[in-house]
Amino acid sequence: MSNGFSRTTDGIEVVLGPLEATLLVELIGQIELLLEPPPVDDPLEAIVGLRAVAPPPPDDPAVARLLPDAYPDDPDAAADYRRRTSDDIREGKRAAARRVLATVPATGGRALLDDPAAQDWLITLNDLRLVLGTRLDITDDATADALYEIDSDDPRRPVIEVYLFLGDLQDQLVHALL
Amino acid sequence: MEVVSLTTVAPEDISDVDETTEDDRLWVTIVWNDPVNLMSYVTYVFQKLFGFSRKKAEALMLDVHHKGRATVSSGTREAMERDATRLHAYGLWATVAQD
Repeated sequence: MSNGFSRTTDGIEVVLGPLEATLLVELIGQIELLLEPPPVDDPLEAIVGLRAVAPPPPDDPAVARLLPDAYPDDPDAAADYRRRTSDDIREGKRAAARRVLATVPATGGRALLDDPAAQDWLITLNDLRLVLGTRLDITDDATADALYEIDSDDPRRPVIEVYLFLGDLQDQLVHALL
Repeated sequence: MEVVSLTTVAPEDISDVDETTEDDRLWVTIVWNDPVNLMSYVTYVFQKLFGFSRKKAEALMLDVHHKGRATVSSGTREAMERDATRLHAYGLWATVAQD
């Protein structure tokens, strides 16, 4: 039994060591805070859950990567798309992260995932990689490849190792699903 | 009794509407290359969200990877925005444009 994801007759199985589980719980817990929607000024808008005014583009580049601009050449259309969709996209990702936290074997061990749970894991692992990828300034294939040749005393090394671990995990899950 | 219409439209409004509906080019959803998203993952998402065969999904993924972008769907603006939102939910970098 090796750690990671595999397909079994009962569904997708995930096996995590104690340190891997602790790391995942810690990281996934941060998604909730990171994707908290910006406040709605108008109390009526807050009650009906619809914004009349578009929220500003996210300041944090990692959040901006999770909520891409749908109309890069049209600021008005981009703002209107953001007004209508960004709260739902944020909440969808936060809800997926919460459900993953509820299924992760928190002290290590094994969990069995049905398809909706596997989708939650896939989305959450990908969101974490996008956030870390932004923090690591991975902007093109060359900077992505350079991560494998990093010096042992590079201060970014711990984050890079987490990023690569998440990539391996996600790739296993995709292949178990394909 | 005089009937009061609630839907009376001033002539200048009508001409506005005519101008904006003249352009009937299709809208498209474009996925852009991203150095973080795994190739296997992008292929999987295309299959899952659009029902593409493995072969078609892989071909589109390779277009994204090598050409920097690929058009993954076309149709009404509303449908393209829904596709973009579903792709954003999966973390893909999608935009909407008129063809």
